[in-house]
Amino acid sequence: MSSFEDADTEETVTCLQITVYHPGQLQSGIFQSIRFCSRDKLPSSEVVKFGRNSNICRYTFQDKQVSRVQFSLQLFKQFNSSVLSFEIKNMSKKANLIMDSRELGYLNKMDLPYKCMIRFGEYQFLMEKEDGESLEFFEIQFILSPRSLLQENNWPPHRPIPKYGIYSLSSFQSSSPTEMDENELMNTESLREEM
Amino acid sequence: MFHLPSPSSMEKPLTVLRVSLYHPTLGPSAFANVPPRLQHDTSPLLLGRGRDTHLQLQLPHLSRRHLSLEPYLEKGSALLAFCLKTLSHKGCVWVNGLTLRYLEQVPLSTVNRVSFSGIQMLLCVEEGTSLEAFVCYFHVSPSPLIYRSEAEETDEWEDVSQEQPPPGSGQQTPGCLGFLHVPSQTWDSPLQPSPGGGTEIQLQREPPDGALY
Repeated sequence: MSSFEDADTEETVTCLQITVYHPGQLQSGIFQSIRFCSRDKLPSSEVVKFGRNSNICRYTFQDKQVSRVQFSLQLFKQFNSSVLSFEIKNMSKKANLIMDSRELGYLNKMDLPYKCMIRFGEYQFLMEKEDGESLEFFEIQFILSPRSLLQENNWPPHRPIPKYGIYSLSSFQSSSPTEMDENELMNTESLREEM
Repeated sequence: MFHLPSPSSMEKPLTVLRVSLYHPTLGPSAFANVPPRLQHDTSPLLLGRGRDTHLQLQLPHLSRRHLSLEPYLEKGSALLAFCLKTLSHKGCVWVNGLTLRYLEQVPLSTVNRVSFSGIQMLLCVEEGTSLEAFVCYFHVSPSPLIYRSEAEETDEWEDVSQEQPPPGSGQQTPGCLGFLHVPSQTWDSPLQPSPGGGTEIQLQREPPDGALY
């Protein structure tokens, strides 16, 4: 108990939650290399690459239509800010990256807002940042969505989303608070079995 | 990490970074490991004391990864631009009048004055059209690259710093050597200090020592 009371105060950590969807995710196993729901703690100076090549990328997709390095994320600190910010950079020569309504060509980069939708091909990534105090580390957490994240499913949402817990589109479909149906939530264990 | 460009892209001229280096106390020996020429792909170029850096400098006050030079493309531009980011937790990097601390970054102009851990660096960008790689040419200067004023900061110095072209403007200053103590060697000759002589034409005030470490 004394070690707990005497220990240095832990800093909260910036967390980027990435909710992913691809229409062929159940049949093709494209996300089989991704560990969903666990939080990966990374040094804040790391350039995080996403793509097909596991020798280069930290997060890989089992899909020949994905570039060897599709895009990268890196942290930086804006002047006069105490929190870390993300920027995304398109590393693909073949496919443009779409961030909300803006298009990024090869080597174009852009600051990531607190919440945005990243798309390339049929891939959809909803990226949501939660600020933290630490400048040394940050976390990335992947969530698998059972359905499309786009406009026909109420994107962008007009209501605030839960700060914690798994992102679920069902929370946006009623005008008053309702109980969340546990069947609506994606069970990643059963999904892995299906894959 | 370095990938050779494909044969077809070899035809496109590479973007060139001409880098002059100076250390006030250690002199040229501070840059003994620096090659005269370094070609690099479009991943960030790392500078520091560590072995995993692309440009390794054996200086005690330097962090293992001190800073990075990241090539990227501005929207609508076909020419490589560069972003300098501080990776040092303890030190900072002074760039064109701005002090950058850990993870702070700034896009580079055509001519850039950079100072960190006692090192002075003048970095000039010459545009090329290749998007596969860029090349650095290094030169050791025998004299300071950033003027250290003993007077208090005045509006005059602020006017001088504002004369620099804005980032990404593509504006080429008439020969970046015009801002330097002009060396007698050409850029392509082996890296070695040039003899004395010549006049510094335009310099910029060096930050106080406290900002360099």
